[in-house]
Amino acid sequence: MRALITAVYLFLYAPIALVVLFSFNSGRSASEFVGFSTQWYAKALSNTFLMDALQNSLVIAFTSAVLAAVFGTMAALGMERLGGRMRAVFDGLFAAAIVVPGVVIGIATLVALVQVFGFLNPLLAAAWPGEQPPKLSLGFGSIIAAHGLFSMALVTMIVKARIASLGRDIVEASNDLYATPLTTFREIVLPQIMPSILAGFLLAFTFSFDDFIIAFFVAGSNTTLPIYVFASIRRGVTPEINAIATMVLVASLCMILIARFLMREKKTNN
Amino acid sequence: MATSPETKKRLVTAALLAPASLWLFVFLVLPFIAIVVFAFGERAPEGGYQPSFTLEQFANLGARAAAFKNTLLLAPVGAFLCLVVAYPVAYYLAVKASPRYRLVLVSLVVVPFWTSLLVRVYAWMYILGARGIPHLLEMIGIENVRLLNTPGAVLLGIVYGYLPLMIMPIYVSLEKLDRRLLEASADLGAKPLSTFFGITLPLSLPGVMTGVALVTILLLGEYLIPQLLGGGKVFFIGNALVDLFLQSRNWPFGSAIAVTLVVVVVFILLIAMRIAWRFAGTRQVDLV
Amino acid sequence: MSKDYKDNLPISASGFMDEFMRLKRGSVSRRHFLGITGLGLATAVMTRFPGALSTPAYAAEDLGTQMSIATWPNYHDPATFENFTAATGVAVEVNVFGSNEEMLAKLQAGASGWSLFVPTNYTISTYQKLGLIDELDMSKVPNFSSTTQNTRFTSEGQIDGKTFAVPKNWGTTGFAVNTDKLKTPLKSWKDFFEIAQTEADGRAMVHDYQLTTIGSALVSLGYGFNSIDAGELAKAEELLIKVKPHLYAINSDYQPSMRSTDAWMTMCWTNDGAQLNRDMPEIAYILGTDGGEIWTDFYAIPKDAPNKAAGYALLNYLMDPTNAVKEHIANGAPATDSRVIELLPKEITSNKIVYPDEASLTPLEFGAAVTLTDPARAELMARFKSA
Repeated sequence: MRALITAVYLFLYAPIALVVLFSFNSGRSASEFVGFSTQWYAKALSNTFLMDALQNSLVIAFTSAVLAAVFGTMAALGMERLGGRMRAVFDGLFAAAIVVPGVVIGIATLVALVQVFGFLNPLLAAAWPGEQPPKLSLGFGSIIAAHGLFSMALVTMIVKARIASLGRDIVEASNDLYATPLTTFREIVLPQIMPSILAGFLLAFTFSFDDFIIAFFVAGSNTTLPIYVFASIRRGVTPEINAIATMVLVASLCMILIARFLMREKKTNN
Repeated sequence: MATSPETKKRLVTAALLAPASLWLFVFLVLPFIAIVVFAFGERAPEGGYQPSFTLEQFANLGARAAAFKNTLLLAPVGAFLCLVVAYPVAYYLAVKASPRYRLVLVSLVVVPFWTSLLVRVYAWMYILGARGIPHLLEMIGIENVRLLNTPGAVLLGIVYGYLPLMIMPIYVSLEKLDRRLLEASADLGAKPLSTFFGITLPLSLPGVMTGVALVTILLLGEYLIPQLLGGGKVFFIGNALVDLFLQSRNWPFGSAIAVTLVVVVVFILLIAMRIAWRFAGTRQVDLV
Repeated sequence: MSKDYKDNLPISASGFMDEFMRLKRGSVSRRHFLGITGLGLATAVMTRFPGALSTPAYAAEDLGTQMSIATWPNYHDPATFENFTAATGVAVEVNVFGSNEEMLAKLQAGASGWSLFVPTNYTISTYQKLGLIDELDMSKVPNFSSTTQNTRFTSEGQIDGKTFAVPKNWGTTGFAVNTDKLKTPLKSWKDFFEIAQTEADGRAMVHDYQLTTIGSALVSLGYGFNSIDAGELAKAEELLIKVKPHLYAINSDYQPSMRSTDAWMTMCWTNDGAQLNRDMPEIAYILGTDGGEIWTDFYAIPKDAPNKAAGYALLNYLMDPTNAVKEHIANGAPATDSRVIELLPKEITSNKIVYPDEASLTPLEFGAAVTLTDPARAELMARFKSA
């Protein structure tokens, strides 16, 4: 059993170890180790396109995750108050947002937005009082929206499950004590569902940060980190990519450790 | 003007659901309507779309039968292989691992998600390519082995990419399992194997079902892994779709395939839920 | 004459660059910069001596800080872009594509983000027809010389007397063979598809686009490279689908696989053939005796280019023979401009991969515009890939 488990962990981590190893390659290639060097870290950090792509990815992942967390939680709370048919409609829509493959979401969003923009842009140009009318096009907005769709559905599912497991009695008790609905929400419900919202936020962030296929279609002329990496695979990967991947890995490991540490602190305080 | 509590309650509900509804409409319903409309259109002479009403695109679906077949075969096979590898790991983590290390070991399953899948798959391209494992085999006298760009490489990539998604739900369902049940079973003289088949496996079925359904459904839309590890030869329906939009620029036919793929996904999901309910004997299986 | 002209400038060339870089870094105001360098005067001088001094010619315009170019795999000397960035402060992002179809699809969907791209001869009339490219403002490309071009390769850049694209280089599509691994001598596309199913089973690659993959299959069957005849295409499809299970990959970027010896044989462009042969002499580049493609790649600027000024600046930089010759030496694709050929070392002009005998070029055909847009060929390729 032990041996099997070890083998599985090796299987999971061998490619990652390889990525980290080649980030310290002194040669140009990500497949032939020549010698040790940290030059690719410096190169990666000074490569404006790579840094732009990283920054875009962070902004997009953060924005879409925040929007998804807020709107998704609101939707979960709203659905609790719905009955019967309407609730089933929303259940169906959110389930669809999760199961429709990313490649279809990407293509369908592209097709729809190209049509909508083609219709709106001339109207906008005609109605605009100034010289340079704004022109709608694919970009940040469309990636955030398309990522947010999946993420919001995810948050709604998670938070809804949590609300369902909450006892109604505590809410009723609070209401009986003449707390306003808002106070009840802030003092009773929110603290209880907060861990689920956070979990949803983190999942949403991770999903958006690593998504290639949706962004590939709706990114317009913007580049996200996965798009940049995909383009690099065709152009010939240099250890720059390995360096940036290693940095992202280390940053996320640090975040996990910090989170663990904070949770432990909280426990001892209690 | 006073509003009745009932009206007020409705207004709050509507306000809570408004942003999500707008979002769902503009970025899910509208795009879906768009591809349905496109699917009845025609390819413009230079590529793209021109309005029309024809069933030609759907009639032509047979031209992608091989890609549909590939997908419908490799997705469940991939999910099954994932399950075979994932179950012992989940079992070990939930039942055997010492509580001290359990959390670390579980986190280690999730951490790979934090490194770009693309970069990790690229690492596999190197491992399976001529400079990787085939090179090592050459040293012991086995020449000219080819691993990259084969269905085997694609399956390996699938297991690698989706393993954590399979381990987690099984782990969660095994962890909930009351350990006293296992002890009771042992006390009553049951052999470990019969304890496993009599108690552990049935109780973990909801997790297994969730994992298998989740991975199968995600695999139906897979693009990257066959693209990078299959050399453009092992084709999933996702690859056929991308090809129609990026190479042959046949938007209507691509839309028809996209619509068909959605129908297939929903159909498979419904079947999976049926099976899951029967096996688990409960409707409490979360598939999505 | 050029000496007089330099004396007229109120500031030396190196001083100019210093000031220019300061402006780029934002440490001087634009007005200060214009004042110091006397650009008003300089611009006036420039128009009188087009191309006299190429670098400052485009410093007159605001070039921004970055641009992106869409081009082919292994097609440029990376130093070219580094030098351009050093000279102008504009960083260049290189996007690599596997087919003209892919470039066209990206431009048709809008917002490609490119300020310069590299289409092949047979695509230019389609881009022009669809309104995706603009007529080039040749006053911004003073380094281009129309009189020194070999017109055999360059005519398709002109439409109705207007210039929409200027030539990058020409080349051929043959195949590369690793002669250490494959002992049978190959001469034709007929041989290529035969060996792909036998001795090179699992080791041969074809391009990921229809023109050459279908074209070469047609040629191997004795048909024309550009055929759109339904019966002939059906025969070609039959052959391709028969070969497919034996292929290593369908990919236009075959250099990595050939170098690692995962692949032993591939459809190949001149420049890749020259690069592979230079580093691995056992890899031979062969032109089919039964036919194949001859092509010219051009530079063009998309209509919706976000940074046209930088696009023109880079184009003009690349048209400078001293820069073009460095590109040529690095990537091994033959030149259309006699000024560049004059500067080449003998080992390149005598390299039969780069400059083949006229006789071996005779059976080759240029790709046709109708081949690019023919829906039957596009669908055939997609069917072949998904089979």
